[in-house]
Amino acid sequence: MVDWQLTAFLVLSVLEIGASIMVVTSKKLVHAAFWLAMTLVTIGGIYLVLLSEFVFLIQILVYAGAVPVLFVFGIMLTRRKIMEEVTVPEEGAEALPGPGEESRP
Amino acid sequence: MSGHLVSPNLFELTRILMDGILRILSDAIKALAPVGSPVEPLRGLGDAILTPWLVDLLSWLVAITIMVTWVAAILLLTFMWIERKTYSRLQDRYGIMLSVWSLPFWPFSWLARRRHKPTHKGLGWLQNVADGVKLVQKENITPAKADSAMFHTAPVLIASSTVLIFAALPFSEGFVIADVPLSLLFILAAFSLAPLGILIAGWSSNNKYSLIGGMRAAAQLMAYEIPLLLAVIAIIFYSGTLNVIGIVKGQEVPLAYLGPIAIPAWNILSIPQFLGFVVFFVAIIAEMERIPFDIPEAEAELVEGWVTEYSGMRFGLVFGFKWLRAIAGSALVVILYFGGWSGPVWVTLTPTVGATVIPIPIVPHEVWFLLKVFVVFLVFVWISWSVPRVRIDQILNIGWKRLIPLSLLALILAALFVLFAPLPGGIR
Repeated sequence: MVDWQLTAFLVLSVLEIGASIMVVTSKKLVHAAFWLAMTLVTIGGIYLVLLSEFVFLIQILVYAGAVPVLFVFGIMLTRRKIMEEVTVPEEGAEALPGPGEESRP
Repeated sequence: MSGHLVSPNLFELTRILMDGILRILSDAIKALAPVGSPVEPLRGLGDAILTPWLVDLLSWLVAITIMVTWVAAILLLTFMWIERKTYSRLQDRYGIMLSVWSLPFWPFSWLARRRHKPTHKGLGWLQNVADGVKLVQKENITPAKADSAMFHTAPVLIASSTVLIFAALPFSEGFVIADVPLSLLFILAAFSLAPLGILIAGWSSNNKYSLIGGMRAAAQLMAYEIPLLLAVIAIIFYSGTLNVIGIVKGQEVPLAYLGPIAIPAWNILSIPQFLGFVVFFVAIIAEMERIPFDIPEAEAELVEGWVTEYSGMRFGLVFGFKWLRAIAGSALVVILYFGGWSGPVWVTLTPTVGATVIPIPIVPHEVWFLLKVFVVFLVFVWISWSVPRVRIDQILNIGWKRLIPLSLLALILAALFVLFAPLPGGIR
């Protein structure tokens, strides 16, 4: 007989540890924030395995829905280069300033 | 009281049906493989498909399929149809009003206004199916510098978290997948997962309009979640339960009698909850990204906001999810403030067949609930196609400076009213 609770716990733990390693190793900060969301959701899953539904739902509501979004906001509002720039050389015309270029000294 | 059609609940109903089908199938297998024939080992299969856990599993799958088909096909198409018809009436858009050609056969063609013209047949309900078919045929284009994995994950995340709402959202006491004790919290948690997916979609498209739209959407959705939840907490003070069905049961009692007519104790008929209703209504419009608050996809300035780069059926997913959220939002307004599925006709015929009493609902609960949901959605449509769009700073000001104090006031008033419960004159 398979112990489903233990299996679910192990799967969730592996996912959580993998995601948390990705948080600290990924090169792009936005990716790190979204891996953080995955970590928080899997922690919520572990709460559900421990039969505490209320903590699970609050975890999803607060930590999965709001905290990573706040992180991403912080990243997007502070870092200048958050998108891949596609530069198309235009003939005979001065290239228009890209996003954020006006504030460049 | 009128009864509900799906009784006792969706799962039990599908289980009875499934059990019958599997019994017939099992008997058919046993009849085709009699004892002594070369295919006798097949009799084991006939017994195996009657295993209880297999029947349970199949019934769950069928129940979920019924719910998803009901919500994501029938209700979604109906809501889109209502919206398109109503705004074309409101804004006098001639095309959608008349020349939507579909269902060119009897009851629909008879109901159509200009039924003598071949292009004016039908009600236009299937126009959205035609749009969906068109979207499926289109190519799915990924932008060159987009973050491909996240770009393709975002629609799945958004759509699945939205469908997740309907795992706990009831359409009557029985027409629900899972009646969990904390279903209201579950619905709100599933509702609040969208900003993450929207932000992923906006960022990974690698397009400044998408990015601005995604950030606006996330800021708006997160800002309006707070007054939404505070208004819901005021409801919980009154009902004392986080179960949606329990909240509706609390509103089914009569509040006062006008002669023989009973006024139900709907939450909107109490002073603090009316404040909460105003907050909830405005906040849910913002959560649906409907027009006074649709600055995330303001098409005059941001192309289409965070859905700009999506094409083909992915665009259909992220576009149709708004109507799914509209269904959930209208249903939540009805459940929390307008007494859910309790109707004004308090009659059930109960003939006795053998020894069992079978209630016959005159107008079933599902019909009352759908009627109320459609009326609330019509009000949403009416508001969104009559008022102009407000700026992003105005949206955030309304959310943080007006709605949150108002919802806190509703919360404090509700707490006081519950504390000093029997107020003179039955004021609640």
